[in-house]
Amino acid sequence: MNISLSLHLIILFVFPPLLLGIIGKIKAFFAGRIGPPLWQPYFDLFKLMHKASVYSVTTNWIFRAAPMVSTAAILAAGILMPIAGFKPPVQFWGDMVLFVYLFALARFVIILAALDTGSSFEGMGASREATFGCLSEITMFLNLTILALLSGKLSLSEIFLGGLSSSWVLVGPVLILVVVSFFLVLLVENSRIPIDDPETHLELTMIHEVMVLDHSGIDLAYILYGKAVKLFLFGALLVSVIFTFKTQNFLIDMFLFIFEIIGLAILIGVVESTMARLRLNKVPYLLFSAFIFSIIGLIVILVRGH
Amino acid sequence: MNIWLDAILILVIILGLFIVASTRLGTMIQIFAMQSMILGCVPFFMYAKEMEVYIMIVALAAIVLRGFIMPNFLFWAIRHVSVRSEVSPFIGVGTTLLLSCLSIVGSFLLASKLVFPVSISSELVIPSSFSLIIMGFILIVGRTKAISQVVGYLLLENGIFLFAILLLKKMPLLVEMGILLDLFIAAVVMGIVVNNISDEFNNTDTMALTTLKD
Repeated sequence: MNISLSLHLIILFVFPPLLLGIIGKIKAFFAGRIGPPLWQPYFDLFKLMHKASVYSVTTNWIFRAAPMVSTAAILAAGILMPIAGFKPPVQFWGDMVLFVYLFALARFVIILAALDTGSSFEGMGASREATFGCLSEITMFLNLTILALLSGKLSLSEIFLGGLSSSWVLVGPVLILVVVSFFLVLLVENSRIPIDDPETHLELTMIHEVMVLDHSGIDLAYILYGKAVKLFLFGALLVSVIFTFKTQNFLIDMFLFIFEIIGLAILIGVVESTMARLRLNKVPYLLFSAFIFSIIGLIVILVRGH
Repeated sequence: MNIWLDAILILVIILGLFIVASTRLGTMIQIFAMQSMILGCVPFFMYAKEMEVYIMIVALAAIVLRGFIMPNFLFWAIRHVSVRSEVSPFIGVGTTLLLSCLSIVGSFLLASKLVFPVSISSELVIPSSFSLIIMGFILIVGRTKAISQVVGYLLLENGIFLFAILLLKKMPLLVEMGILLDLFIAAVVMGIVVNNISDEFNNTDTMALTTLKD
């Protein structure tokens, strides 16, 4: 029990930056470069932690608190989510609602910090983030509702640890809709390429990066780390929906999970390398189609029975 | 539980949404062709246990007619009048998607209220045929280019075809062939209309038909 708890926490805290490294490596491969080493995100975090932060005189405590609060909220969401077949440390009836709203809290404080800088550029990014956030959140909730209906449970750990075991055989098409919709939400929430380019820092079309331009030093480290954990958690969610099969040996399950999530990171890297970014006014259509996918799935579940 | 039929029907609805959401005529026609081919496979899944020769003929006729001949005809039409995309639709893409989403919800509600004399192999057949019909209507009403209206009409016909598959056992082959023929003639007539509009007005905007001309 204690071993599984500590493994859960170790994977949650240590593993996420590696995903960014894998995505970077895949993109470098497609571009014909060698690319930064897999451990580059860890080096970046280490470097940033040893740098001093610069604060603008127009900012107040919100700007300083936001990176910490957002990272804490994302890590708290990670504590609710079963990872690699391990039971999460905290679980209760209806914790999936808290799971989604912790991400909303993380987004909210970052938006506040962006507004706090007083820069119109960051305000623009904040407005975009809020717009896309409210569209992706409702899709996220609909998808979780479908999973809750399928498994008859309202807690993430009960849904993903056995609740969905027979669903692929019974209502496979609906789960495919959920997976596609989740994947689109994942790309939007983590500002990956068809929606937003995480590499650029000086373009008028970017969304997430523009909000964190004024953060530096350890604040930036918090934000980058929080972003990696968020990507990891969304990936874990997606992987748990796709692969419901579990061997009973926890070590094999853990390695399977890690391979699955690395596979997902490779997929994201391939998507990023092969697609061009959408025009900004097309992004709501993408989110809207994700929403419609989950609506269709929900209707089918309601009509079909579960 | 007919899981393959369900998957196909969901795919058909989603392809319908893609048709409604795209503004490029070429993409619309290609997706329409794909949807029609998938729809043509529905009888094979629905009557897998009691396959008859005439069911196969209807399905193959639908695949060939809607999946190959009609799209080629439409491609010929857009080459002839050289329109590429729907520039200014009456109803924008976002609103169209919202309306289609509402139509899907509405058709599921409607279908749950109806009682059918024949036994239905999947609960999704009737709602998806209704939603295809409504999406076709939305396309006819919301677009200005004659060719996207033709695609809307064909989408509507696809919905009717899906509904007719249910009655394939009860309906004689003649009626089925009538539907296909009707579709073909309608498309030919529309094609002539499209060409005449383009010859008269140098574009295929149906708005031109509402104004008087000497």
